[in-house]
Amino acid sequence: MNPFAIEFRDVQKSFELNFTLGPLSLSVPRGSIYALIGPNGAGKSTALNMLMGLGAPGLGNIRVLDHDLPADEVDIKRRTAYVSPDMDYRAWGTVGRVIDFIRGFYPDWNPDRCAELQFTFGVHRDARVDALSFGSRMKLALILALSRDAELLVLDEPTLGLDAIARRQLFAELLRFMTAEGRTILISSHQLMDLERFADHVAVLNKGRVLTSGRMDRMTERYRQFDARILRDTQVAMTGVQFIDRSGERVKILIDQDLAPADVLEQLKIEVLAEIPLSLEDLFLALIMAADARGGWWPQMSAA
Amino acid sequence: MPEISLPIRLGPISPAAPGPLYQQIVDGIKREVLANRLSAGAALPSYRVLAEQLLVSLITVKRAYEELEREGITYSRQGLGTFVAARGNDRTRADRRGKARDALRAAIHAGHEAGMSDRELLQMLRDEFKAGSTESADELVRGGLP
Repeated sequence: MNPFAIEFRDVQKSFELNFTLGPLSLSVPRGSIYALIGPNGAGKSTALNMLMGLGAPGLGNIRVLDHDLPADEVDIKRRTAYVSPDMDYRAWGTVGRVIDFIRGFYPDWNPDRCAELQFTFGVHRDARVDALSFGSRMKLALILALSRDAELLVLDEPTLGLDAIARRQLFAELLRFMTAEGRTILISSHQLMDLERFADHVAVLNKGRVLTSGRMDRMTERYRQFDARILRDTQVAMTGVQFIDRSGERVKILIDQDLAPADVLEQLKIEVLAEIPLSLEDLFLALIMAADARGGWWPQMSAA
Repeated sequence: MPEISLPIRLGPISPAAPGPLYQQIVDGIKREVLANRLSAGAALPSYRVLAEQLLVSLITVKRAYEELEREGITYSRQGLGTFVAARGNDRTRADRRGKARDALRAAIHAGHEAGMSDRELLQMLRDEFKAGSTESADELVRGGLP
């Protein structure tokens, strides 16, 4: 069996306003929770939409659950549940009518789960959808997705509008979903602290491209961040080393231990003042700042 | 949500507590083994079940289990699960003793750095034993530390 539930291979698509997604290659291991993170406009939703057949790639190909998109779209959708903030169920009137309508489409619908989820998230059948808060509408979309015994969950910003309690409930439900063998979740969110705790893999997307990806626990070990002083003979260009902030001779540097030489600190000839521990959020900020700096103000640095 | 009963209860695993999450799980399971709440041959929950109970990623639990196996505290059987090793308790105890020794060495080093003599350090250790009121500590002091 293919070890990957989802594979993007050199996927590329250009949009108006000079935004190009890709070339994007991503492999989501079966049986994992995979986090897709990135600043606003990085292309996360665009990539997830493509998975759901909303917009075909210009170049490259996408395989989902051993099927090809767009040829096997129907088969893929039967086994995949999808949630996005754009879903609008107001036309059905009440929560109960939405549920009764949606369940008819899916043979894998689990009515007991659905009742439990309504209780957990506190969304009642007789509530009017247009009277629900934004967060409660998101909860409704999550109830609809999690009430199925789908193999793949694709969640685009599912934490949007949820309070801390609901967010915790959501992640508890996601781990519960994962207790069955072979299920996979692909999730995009800005809740990096939650993702660091719950996700197994992560890919950082910026300007339509993957900056880095890997196992969540290895990610924060792979990179090290230092507060340092640059000296007269400090090297500024070295593989795996990124300068992310500078004020005078004080710099903050990010080292990718997979790319940098083992004795990188000696070679750089910097005076290390402190190592700054990295959470996923710190790493995310450092990576994005480094990526932005690369195209702009940094290279003309002179260590005088 | 229905409560899933497990042979063990670990405390909450929190990023606010010291150490990575997987290490907190390793330490928690070692505590259970040392206290004989998990005896030799006992099965650990599957990592999916434990992940759901502790609200951490699967990979965190997997890594904790790998670490426990590496240290010889547990062993795994393909398709059957993970079990406490026959000598898991001894190994945990040995591991704890090693940690205590390391902590003592660090304390001696810190004392020397502060300009204390060995005699002063010993006196400090005696005072600490007296301050803690456990019976064994009292006996130790009565029995006369060197």
